Amino acid sequence: MDMNEIKEIFFQECEEQLAELESGLLKLNDGDRDPETVNAVFRAVHSIKGGAGAFGLDDLVSFAHVFETTLDCVRSNKLEPNQDVLKVMLKSADVLADLTNAARDGGSVDDSRSRALVKELEALANGEVPAPSATVEVPAAATAAAPAPTDESGFAPIPFSFDGFDDEEEAIEGTVYDVTFNPRPELFAKGNEATLLLRDLSRVGEMSIHCDTDALPSLDQIDPEGAYFRWKIAVKTTKGEDAIRSVFEFAEWDCDLEIKVQEAATDAAERAEELPMIPVPFDLSMLDGAGSEGDADGEEAGAAANATATTAVAAAEAVSGIAKLAGAASRGDKKDAGAAATAAAQATAAAGAAPTIRVDLDRVDRLINLVGELVINQAMLSQSVIENDANGTSSINMGLEELQQLTREIQDSVMAIRAQPVKPVFQRMSRIVREVADMTGKSIRLITEGENTEVDKTVIDKLAEPLTHMIRNAVDHGVETPEKRVAAGKNPEGTVRLTAKHRSGRILIELADDGAGINRERVKQKAIDNDLIAADANLTDEEIDNLIFLPGFSTADKISDISGRGVGMDVVKRSIQALGGRISISSRPGHGSVFTMSLPLTLAVLDGMVVTVAGQTLVVPLTAIVETLQPEASAIHSFGASHRLISIRNSFCPLVDVGRILNFRTTQANPVEGVALLVESEGGGQRALMVDAIQGQRQVVIKSLEANYTHVAGIAAATILGDGRVALILDVDAVVGASRGQSLKPEMSLAATG
Amino acid sequence: MASKKGEQGSLKLPAVLDLNEATQLHGKLMSLRGKALVIDASAVERAGIQCIQVLLAGAKAWGEDKKPFSIAKVSDAFQKTLQLVGMSADQLQAQEIR
Repeated sequence: MDMNEIKEIFFQECEEQLAELESGLLKLNDGDRDPETVNAVFRAVHSIKGGAGAFGLDDLVSFAHVFETTLDCVRSNKLEPNQDVLKVMLKSADVLADLTNAARDGGSVDDSRSRALVKELEALANGEVPAPSATVEVPAAATAAAPAPTDESGFAPIPFSFDGFDDEEEAIEGTVYDVTFNPRPELFAKGNEATLLLRDLSRVGEMSIHCDTDALPSLDQIDPEGAYFRWKIAVKTTKGEDAIRSVFEFAEWDCDLEIKVQEAATDAAERAEELPMIPVPFDLSMLDGAGSEGDADGEEAGAAANATATTAVAAAEAVSGIAKLAGAASRGDKKDAGAAATAAAQATAAAGAAPTIRVDLDRVDRLINLVGELVINQAMLSQSVIENDANGTSSINMGLEELQQLTREIQDSVMAIRAQPVKPVFQRMSRIVREVADMTGKSIRLITEGENTEVDKTVIDKLAEPLTHMIRNAVDHGVETPEKRVAAGKNPEGTVRLTAKHRSGRILIELADDGAGINRERVKQKAIDNDLIAADANLTDEEIDNLIFLPGFSTADKISDISGRGVGMDVVKRSIQALGGRISISSRPGHGSVFTMSLPLTLAVLDGMVVTVAGQTLVVPLTAIVETLQPEASAIHSFGASHRLISIRNSFCPLVDVGRILNFRTTQANPVEGVALLVESEGGGQRALMVDAIQGQRQVVIKSLEANYTHVAGIAAATILGDGRVALILDVDAVVGASRGQSLKPEMSLAATG
Repeated sequence: MASKKGEQGSLKLPAVLDLNEATQLHGKLMSLRGKALVIDASAVERAGIQCIQVLLAGAKAWGEDKKPFSIAKVSDAFQKTLQLVGMSADQLQAQEIR
């Protein structure tokens, strides 16, 4: 496996871990004190650190280490995770994410920021803890020794700090463990390196090793990549069996590992006679990559010196020495218990999660494309069979029906592969809110709802950018400063609400703030100043609100880092439209604004009703249609010069002549001769679309019109029908909008694809 | 591989002796079989267990052939890796091993 691929997987996992981290911290922020939540947060940071170590991402490792240390204080209940603590932690999570991104994409991270946070974290770890850093550092150091999956190209530096070692613990006689380590070939096949494992083991404590080479075959028969050596190792350590086990954490399934406590110290000498044990020196610095060895050696020396010093002190002051021993022992226990708990938690997490695989998105897309072709082909096949077979009871027809059901199911399943919850995007937004609120000195709470709403992966990916823009706008422009809010009699803490839900086959994302709302006077004035509208234009409130979507519009008095350069909302609108979605705004002065985005769930297929309009075949998305009816002459009423209404069950509904609006014909169609499709538009109102006839209902594969031709107003996309002809898919909302008098000008058209 | 009696072979080990290198190293050793061999390990920066296995098997094979097999120069890293896995450079000299 290529090194870069492994790294890519690592970064993907990092993303997941970061999401986990953030949601855990937010849960804590909301008052959740479940130890499992704390553990989850801790695990996330720990995994990132482990992986980063394997790739030599030193910045990431060192920051994660400090973060982990502080989290460990929370985990061991030494640090109460109150709001202030969590604020620092959330910021640290952000920095961790930045560092991860910097490691992946290059670029740099604001050093001063991470340094300041490191200080804050350390202060938290030290400040409120009665027993200072050493207690915290030791378990952290032990876990740091755990080898992360290594690359086969050789040694990866595992930065390793002995910072807390100038403590009396070294003075204690360690327990001697006998370790039998028999690697199997699979271990090496997975890229683990036995020398690395042994090196990490040598760091756990004083180590003697015997290598059993008896199993080695002759040169002619050797498999160069086989595993023939066996080791018997004696490790003297104070860190307990778990520390040793953690060294083999990633290897234990691929080797036979036995760890037991050696009964008496004298045994070691006897055994050493039986088997020639070679003591392994501490100075293994040559085996490290750059970086970590210096402090390891130095600290080792320091620790050793310290050890002798404390031994002397202990001898002189026997009583206090015993006290220290007791203290250290209990600390050891605590740590072991903690490690065991983590291991158990990891085990349950592993058992609970359904098995998943990672698949390249390209492969899924190829599959989806093929299934799309299959659907078209199946439709063509059934059509030609029906045409050639007058009596529709043949067995071919039955088989075809089954085929149709099967293709349908295949398609649904394939689409489900691409569907993902919007949660990750929403989680990113909470960070944006935090940061912008921090910069502008506002206090804002982000409430998210419907995070598990699923939508196509492409939509999710492309949603993040416009959403970020809008969130920034909402925080920067929408919500007022705490002083102003208090003056207006509102809660000084502003609320931004982000919701996702399914509605009529689309996903609806709403972003609501409880700020001041749009200042229409100013918006209009700005638009006039910027020559976007004529000075004497007479606009409705809604039209003024929509001015903010015009290119080059900005109401901010001064340009800030956050927003206000006038490249905001028009870009947002365009990206939403590119997804086949639409965006609308509603604002109430003094109460805030609501942005509503409606996006298609998928960009690949849709259920449509095939209709005929003025000799053309059109497809109307089935999700938009409420009902179909045959209008009667008595139900049709004229309204104004060109508008007509249809009365349905005692209520009136505007009649929209599709053929007229799309310029398929110049005269108005006679409603009585056609069929009316009652549709619900995004705005919520109902309209009756007039078409000439209904051909049928089928699933169609969406083919982008933009990609193959150009955007056509009122048309969302195209498709290929069973008989091989191209049919246009109607953009219902655009047509409805046009019927209200808005022209179908390209720049005002409401949707692109979908 | 046809070999001439008494010929002196030499092999300079690359800097990185990882898993990928093990097969190549094995091939090189096989082709040098029958010659007195001096191995130069001065450039080794990293050594993995597979290469050490191959080298040890080589030392054994040379020992069986009663040909000299010696490691002339040893880098610090190589020395330490051997020590770490519980072996000594002496074990890699040709001799009747056990």
